[in-house]
Amino acid sequence: MNPLQNLLSTPTKRRVLIAALALLTLTLAYKLVYPPVFDAYVGKTNAQLTYESSKPLTNAEFEGLAQDLTKEARYRTAAAIVESDQDAFARQVKIEMLMGTDSVVRDAEPPHIKYFRDAGIRRYEGPKTCLTCHAAIKIDHPDGSVSTVNTLDDIVNSVHFKFQSESGGFSTYGYDGRRVNSGPHKIPVGKIDRACGIPGSFTWTGWAALIEASPEHAAAGVTQLRSEGCGQCHIGGNYQPATEKMMPIGDVPAEAKEGIDCLICHSTNYDMNQRVVIKDEHGLRWDQDRSLRAALTVGPIRSENCLRCHQHNMGGDAYAHNAAAQASGYKHQRILHRGAKRGNPFSPQDDAHAAAGLQCTDCHRPQGHKIPRGRKGVDLVANDLPGQEVSCESCHSRAPHNNSEHKVLLNGHIERLACETCHIEKLESDNVVLRDWVHPTWNAEEGIWEPTDVYRSGAPGKGFTFLWFNGNGTFLANALGNNPNGSEVYNPLMQQVARIDDPEIIAAVRAKAVELKQQYPDIDVETYVRTATDPLSQLPPALLAKREAMIQENLRGAMNQGESRLYPFKLFNAMMFEDMSNQGPFGAMILPFDYKTYYETGDSKAAVVKAVQDPIVQRMYQEPFKLYMMDEFMSYFGITSGWKTIYPVVDGKLVNVEPHWMRQMGTLMVNHGIQGKGRECKDCHSPNGIMDFAMLGYTPERVAELQNVDVVEHLAAGNTDTPAVSQK
Amino acid sequence: MGWILLFSGMAGTGTACAETDVGPSQASASQAAETPSAETPSAETRSAESRSSENRNCLRCHQMATLAYRNPENGEIVDLAIAPQALSHSVHGELACSDCHDSDFGQYPHPERLKGETLACVGCHEEHDDAAERVYRFKTIDEEFKHSIHVTSDAPEVAGFSCHSCHDPHAFRNSEIGEEIAQIVRQDNGICLSCHAEIQDPLRDPHTWLPKPEKHREAVRCLDCHTPLSEDGQAVSHRILAGKDSNRDCVKCHSKAPQLLNRLYQYRSETDLANKGWISKAVFNEAYVVGMSRSPLIDRSALAIIAITLLGLGAHGYGRYRAYRRSKENRT
Repeated sequence: MNPLQNLLSTPTKRRVLIAALALLTLTLAYKLVYPPVFDAYVGKTNAQLTYESSKPLTNAEFEGLAQDLTKEARYRTAAAIVESDQDAFARQVKIEMLMGTDSVVRDAEPPHIKYFRDAGIRRYEGPKTCLTCHAAIKIDHPDGSVSTVNTLDDIVNSVHFKFQSESGGFSTYGYDGRRVNSGPHKIPVGKIDRACGIPGSFTWTGWAALIEASPEHAAAGVTQLRSEGCGQCHIGGNYQPATEKMMPIGDVPAEAKEGIDCLICHSTNYDMNQRVVIKDEHGLRWDQDRSLRAALTVGPIRSENCLRCHQHNMGGDAYAHNAAAQASGYKHQRILHRGAKRGNPFSPQDDAHAAAGLQCTDCHRPQGHKIPRGRKGVDLVANDLPGQEVSCESCHSRAPHNNSEHKVLLNGHIERLACETCHIEKLESDNVVLRDWVHPTWNAEEGIWEPTDVYRSGAPGKGFTFLWFNGNGTFLANALGNNPNGSEVYNPLMQQVARIDDPEIIAAVRAKAVELKQQYPDIDVETYVRTATDPLSQLPPALLAKREAMIQENLRGAMNQGESRLYPFKLFNAMMFEDMSNQGPFGAMILPFDYKTYYETGDSKAAVVKAVQDPIVQRMYQEPFKLYMMDEFMSYFGITSGWKTIYPVVDGKLVNVEPHWMRQMGTLMVNHGIQGKGRECKDCHSPNGIMDFAMLGYTPERVAELQNVDVVEHLAAGNTDTPAVSQK
Repeated sequence: MGWILLFSGMAGTGTACAETDVGPSQASASQAAETPSAETPSAETRSAESRSSENRNCLRCHQMATLAYRNPENGEIVDLAIAPQALSHSVHGELACSDCHDSDFGQYPHPERLKGETLACVGCHEEHDDAAERVYRFKTIDEEFKHSIHVTSDAPEVAGFSCHSCHDPHAFRNSEIGEEIAQIVRQDNGICLSCHAEIQDPLRDPHTWLPKPEKHREAVRCLDCHTPLSEDGQAVSHRILAGKDSNRDCVKCHSKAPQLLNRLYQYRSETDLANKGWISKAVFNEAYVVGMSRSPLIDRSALAIIAITLLGLGAHGYGRYRAYRRSKENRT
């Protein structure tokens, strides 16, 4: 009897065989058929990735490089010792002397030189090389336990790679009143699928673009290629974000994982000039520094490593101390964004903690590749470690003021005020508040069309405001909280973040509108100013009424939770094209722009048409996507009737698409750029103070009391030795 | 009925200790006058209105829940916050701030000369008209306290130990009959644990000899074992005993007449006793009597065995009755 006959001899054996074959078929289908089918469905590319900077070195070249790096390390050590010494020449001489001394020479060689030398590694090939030794890593958890995880899985499943998460623990509430992903139907949420008015696009449509810029200083007809896109700050090195991770099954293909840029975070000597868009036969993607120089200088993570990307959204590209922005590329230079996203940098010049030598990871203590962002979250939503606290109190205790004569009173304020409220005096002056994507402005120097920043300010009350915050936020990034007196008056979604009353801002917006009108004659200045400063005026009365009711019914609960304190929030609004088929009381689905079309032609409509034709956006307007996530997404968005799959482009024209300001401003937490010295009492406690106590839900009597604190008069006068207040 | 001072408004953890040695820089918010000054009008003579307006003025700052500072001498956080709710419900809720504190505290910054002032309770309380009628006189408390380990010890931690080290005069109130015992125990032990942190450290806890120390801590007050038994009707002495002198005899609690534990049980409400109490009071006294079970499982199984036995007896009787009837029928 041959083995096959033997296998089929009894019914049981036959059944086992059939089951095994079925399992094998399913596995093969999952491994071999599903990935290309998924890629084809969402129109994405995956291919073997090569990088020019990943070059093999001969042994002699390797030793030469090792010598250079060791010398550089010795120089740094020596320079740090004599940092505060005398004049430049004397310092130079001392550095040279010190560089030769035994104690400086000892251990100066970056440790990976020896590792690579011994292992015979003469070329850095990305994660493959790192994983040779670091296939698994140990993770220290806050409870003292230690676990070992697969390094690649750990990073691939982190927010840094997939920029979304669907685990629980979100502090985000939908306008329908449900906490995001607290129910059985979990959807992926994070930057990957949330279009945003700051970048004007989202990761699917804005991953990598090469823009042909025509700067005025270049000869006529000569163009420069410039890089732009979300991928510059995200470590996936492939042709698109890790879309596969949005599905309940499937994984990012191996070649995409090979594109992970380990060194941008782990190398102390990463060349940001390599971080530009390149084009190969499969499409556009972001280049990276895969030189041995970067690989051999791997060291403990310091703030500089994080800030290669994060200063971009904190200080901004225009920020004087943004080192990465000063290395924008040897070719295809990255477009530097004017108008800072948050405008509060983390650098020794502008942040007390950075100046004290604290590193990002001192507060954001990583667990493996998962990095906590704290339990309070308004924007972005995705959070790898939602339960882990990142707060001032964990270091500073509940009585942090020790210097002032009035330390007791200052400490008393902590019950109601977040530290940031006093210790962030202002944001960078280029902090963007109102951005018009619909009417771009020509930037002659760069030779590109840019979104028009209608209003920028870093001043309190203008660029940012103070809101009650208990750690919860809405689906469109509005801080939730309430005055601890349980006020019914405090209603930021109808007031503070839904209208601008400051006459100075209104005048600035009007001036900008007049300026824009020269380029865009269709603009009606009055309408422009009204919609920009009173975005709720864009809502039909029925939706406005529904909005008020939804706030009361759905959000009051989330607002009244826990203990709210006053926090500063950066304000932001943008005019974008919106798909009016999917409009609700809190806004309509905003449509992304195609960067290349936008920057090159300034035709904002054409840029939207182009972006909406991206395969994955087309899928978004189809039934499977609707059922898988869009219905749920819209419900959080405040639209309970579901996602309308009416595709907004017909025959290359936008249909039922209108330009609008978002119905309320987004509020972004500002936590960095901390100043050692806080505000003066009078900044808030005066009739014209920076806090609108009435709008913050205080009773008129209490407002009067808070605006007119008699103690303050004397403190301000420096008359603190004489008794200031008498009750008699 | 025994009269006991139990205190339900503990200030923040660590505070009670910190208050004791804050030195001259303390802006004394939680101190009561050593000897009541003659010029201070009594609570009765002042109108409620002026009192409340004065207190409002002080509370404007002192009701900030985070009003505190770190004592530069030892790094401890000194809590100066007063919870208005707790104050008005406390035994001192009827008083104006200046009844105890110097009225010049109404000025901010508080005058330097006031900052070293120390205040104590006994003087004021013994001057009350009804002082002599009290079952548990402040004089007695004072006597007992003088022999307390917190006074007699040489340890540097207890230097300056006073009433306020344990009792927050701005929240102090007597425990009342009917309050949940677990709650009373929790609050009471919280005071001790706010200084005696080592008890919560499994490596340093001296109570490891106790079976189930955690259960004991939830069910009895530290004071129940760490004070001598007093016979004159008062429930707990203010003479805190050192560990070595404290009760280690299980039977003092785990018996039918638990002398130590009875002091705690006075807080059970009359209704509680009436509703479900007589068996547990008379038979178990809610205590684990050595040799008796407080395990619900064993209790229920025992009840089940009794029930089954009764059922068996009943069934047997019924069978006998049926047999008797049948034999009677047969005869007829």
